[in-house]
Amino acid sequence: MNAIECKNLTHYYGRKLVYENLSFNVEEGKILGLLGKNGTGKSTTINILNGFLQPKSGECLIYGENTQRLSPSTKERIGFLIEGHVQYTFMNINQIEKFYSGFYPRWNSAPYWDLMSKLKVTPGQKISTMSCGQRSQVALGLILAQDPDLLILDDFSMGLDPGYRRLFIDYLREYAKAENKTIFVTSHIIQDMERLIDDVLIMDYNRILAQQPIESFMKNFRQYNIRLAQHDTGFPQTKLAMNIERIKDTVEFYTYSDENEIKAFLNNSGISYTSFEEKKMTLEDAFIGLTSKY
Amino acid sequence: MKSIFYKEWIKIKWTFLAFLVLGIVGHTIMFLKVRHDILFVDAVNYWYSFLFRGYPYFSILKFLPLVAGLGIAIAQYFPETLNKRIKLTFHLPVGENEILLKMHAFGASSLTAMFVFFFVIFVSGSYIYFPAEIIKPSLLTITPWFLGGLATYFITALILLEPIWLYRGLYTITGAGFISFFYMYGTIGAYKPVIISLAVLTLLISTGVLFSGYRFRKGEM
Repeated sequence: MNAIECKNLTHYYGRKLVYENLSFNVEEGKILGLLGKNGTGKSTTINILNGFLQPKSGECLIYGENTQRLSPSTKERIGFLIEGHVQYTFMNINQIEKFYSGFYPRWNSAPYWDLMSKLKVTPGQKISTMSCGQRSQVALGLILAQDPDLLILDDFSMGLDPGYRRLFIDYLREYAKAENKTIFVTSHIIQDMERLIDDVLIMDYNRILAQQPIESFMKNFRQYNIRLAQHDTGFPQTKLAMNIERIKDTVEFYTYSDENEIKAFLNNSGISYTSFEEKKMTLEDAFIGLTSKY
Repeated sequence: MKSIFYKEWIKIKWTFLAFLVLGIVGHTIMFLKVRHDILFVDAVNYWYSFLFRGYPYFSILKFLPLVAGLGIAIAQYFPETLNKRIKLTFHLPVGENEILLKMHAFGASSLTAMFVFFFVIFVSGSYIYFPAEIIKPSLLTITPWFLGGLATYFITALILLEPIWLYRGLYTITGAGFISFFYMYGTIGAYKPVIISLAVLTLLISTGVLFSGYRFRKGEM
């Protein structure tokens, strides 16, 4: 059963195409990370999912309902973290908890107060006077107290120092797995995603580059560093390569193929090399390898 | 409903109280001046100047409702536009139009309650110094000002929630023109034939905020 189904999404800003016929699903109970460079449509996708943007064509369904017309009962099941941990900063932590609790029948304030107890804030302190990290915990605590089935988190790591990022991720992952929650998350800091997500969806301009479980992506997507015998040797294009980066005589070859296939390609192409090694990648390396540095 | 009103009250309470105090001070100054003028000019002459020369003793109050409507609308809706916080409001498990109307109802009711309070002070104070023949046309004269305050509130909300600056500019120009109808120069009680029409127009314009909300949700930018 899918919590989110997006079918054939096409969107333009004016004449600029964001993407065409984009389709993806998020299975219930999974944590999906949406990765992409700036301008590839991550925020557009989040806005469509939350009903704040109407795509030119196609549709997104959340629990079977079109996101442009979500019913209050479905909205009750969705926790939404806006980029930058936006909240009603004119309230204090007591007021904001009191405000939201009136809307959600499953409201459970325990995780909220648990997180608040970790912050060094006074109960009457306005959220506007808190640090970015503290505000992130307020926003997360409110979502956890809402007890939604689906959490949509837009760039949750924005502005957070490493300690708060780690706290956010560890708390979230533990909660999601214990309660069988579905999470759709974007972040600019890709190393955070590695600790959090089950599935990865990598977007490039106008297309999806990868959509698969993170485990299989990290296992099957490889980087080979090839040192060419002569630095002026040309390097041919090949369908085996998802991306090739070259710095002088060293070629970084990103691929889903194994070592034997690449070596066969090099031999068949008449390319001589002095060294050939597989480099272990982090998710960030793999992301840059797939989407290219520029 | 209780939660929505709770949040809206947190936003507007200081502005509301500030205008309430300002109104009380304004009425106090007005009645002190009336008392002073009656003592020095004599009550009959003072009434005469009102009835036959159209000297309005309450002109100090003229723009108070307009400024109050503007202030309450800004206090209530400006925080929603910062960082597009209105997204949080629209994401609450309530229909988007329903929640906007409830927010609007709260703001308009607060403003109306404030204006009713001012009305009561105005009528009570006026009865000390004036006969009913003067108070009645006075009320007819100040009623459009208070309607103008409500119209200002509705139009300011419409402008603040509008996502596109160009449209905001157009709404501001059109809105300013519309609001000026409530404050045009006229003799005492001159608005009597059009008060109902102005009230109906004000009521109609109150729903305009739904259009801005709809445009925001459709991603106009």
